[in-house]
Amino acid sequence: MADLNVNICGVNFKNPLIAASGTFGFGREYDEIYDISVIGGISTKGMTLEPRQGNPVPRIAEGRSVILNAVGLQNPGVEHFIKYDLPFLKQKGIAIVANVAGKTFDDYGAICAKLDGLVDFIELNISCPNVKAGGMAFGIKPESIKEVTRTAKSSLRKTPLMVKLSPNVESIPLNAQAAQSGGADCISLINTLTGMAIDVERRTPVIANNTGGVSGAGIKPVALRMVYEAAHSVDIPVIGMGGITCGTDVIEFMLAGARAVQVGTANFTDANAMPRILAETNLWLDRHGIKNINEIVDTLKLN
Amino acid sequence: MKDVVATVKSNKIIAENVYMMTLTISENVGEIHGGQFVNLATGGGEHLLRRPLGVMKVEGNDISVCYQLKGEGTKKLSEAQEGQKLKILLPLGNGFPLEGKKKIAVIGGGVGIFPLIATIREHCADKEFYSYMGFRTKSAVCLLDELEKSRSLTVVTDDGSFGEKGNAVEAYLKDAAKLGADCIIACGPPVMLKVLKQKLNERANKIPCFVSLEERMGCGIGACLVCVCKKQNGENARVCKDGPVFKINEVNL
Repeated sequence: MADLNVNICGVNFKNPLIAASGTFGFGREYDEIYDISVIGGISTKGMTLEPRQGNPVPRIAEGRSVILNAVGLQNPGVEHFIKYDLPFLKQKGIAIVANVAGKTFDDYGAICAKLDGLVDFIELNISCPNVKAGGMAFGIKPESIKEVTRTAKSSLRKTPLMVKLSPNVESIPLNAQAAQSGGADCISLINTLTGMAIDVERRTPVIANNTGGVSGAGIKPVALRMVYEAAHSVDIPVIGMGGITCGTDVIEFMLAGARAVQVGTANFTDANAMPRILAETNLWLDRHGIKNINEIVDTLKLN
Repeated sequence: MKDVVATVKSNKIIAENVYMMTLTISENVGEIHGGQFVNLATGGGEHLLRRPLGVMKVEGNDISVCYQLKGEGTKKLSEAQEGQKLKILLPLGNGFPLEGKKKIAVIGGGVGIFPLIATIREHCADKEFYSYMGFRTKSAVCLLDELEKSRSLTVVTDDGSFGEKGNAVEAYLKDAAKLGADCIIACGPPVMLKVLKQKLNERANKIPCFVSLEERMGCGIGACLVCVCKKQNGENARVCKDGPVFKINEVNL
């Protein structure tokens, strides 16, 4: 069995599989199905300073090999997380990535200040397509990405900062570089692609929000291309995600330059997805005689 | 709560566009109660979401669920052949809490009758059930034999093509006074539950009433916050984890 430890910005992940934000809550529910201490880390449900109720229902729809969601950042607020969920996650011994969102620059600064030193990573959600104010608005143009990253970074003394990039943009390389120049310690991508599903009987969109974020196996080729572009335009580590369903998907993202990956929608299809994907990743590494998973990062041979 | 591989034992049409699938589960998944549901894979790789289906019957290692043809996913389910393996996560949700209740009025509408049947089957040895089942039309009527364990069964249809013309809520309300039930359980289309709530409150109903809700779901276990309903206090509840059964006055309908 290969050594699966990956170190990103001084944070050790016992393996490169991180549960993606919004698909795994704060870990408690999946921990009823398997001991979540086997995964490398968790990116929490996106949190805001104050509790949020989110969007009306329906919040989810399905397409072929994809799903769409528009939850709208329902969350209990950062204080609730610190008091009730953080102690639970700490005892699991996995890297804790706090995914945070805000409506204003000040919100991002304030929430980062509250979490500084309490978690292993902050993941800046500047790419949520499902909330009207903030979220996505910060994540489209390089200038605002740099500014919001700088604001967040200035509130952090201890905890490294990960900036999550949106795919619904003009240029991944320019946005990745903007995050880097704003002070991001690493980048994660991709967030969901904005899409629509239509109910032909009712002649309305299936989702109450009309549009939703597209995720799942069907978006993997787009995600791989964007992860490759990001990894080759910045010096900071890149964490890849988008449609990862099996072990060879993990390998593909790492070949493209990702130092770790996040698994999201696959958790819905298969509640045991993460332990299974971990085992499959191991099998691939063993079959190829690879002793340390870090050896495969960015070893893609272009045609 | 376990994710296991089940084997399709039978999969047949029981009413217009409604199917019943019986699955054999060899692993021990713990007790399954009426009102709980399962998250069933369609068997088609392109469907990333499981289908949340209320349990209709548990018999030894066999579990039966029913579903209405709605889209590509349920179409795929309807094509599952005997012997086919499907992944199933179960049991999910809370079920109907009937401790201490003796005489229960059961109000079902359309495909909402299935979790009610499981509940009647589970408790009929020591509780009395009086069932009021409403369907759109005769071709939608199904599983009346499974309701035989009710002390009485009233079937109504919207168009009067089977049983009396009317709806299940009206049928119950007509009997309510002389029936004197100590609990009501209900499952059916949102409009049926809404009318039930309104009518019960108009009559200053004091009997506890529990309703099972339906919503589009993601994970099915409470993590993704997709399937929420609004509680009277303005907060969200997760239909999959906090429900699907709620006190009727606890939720907005």
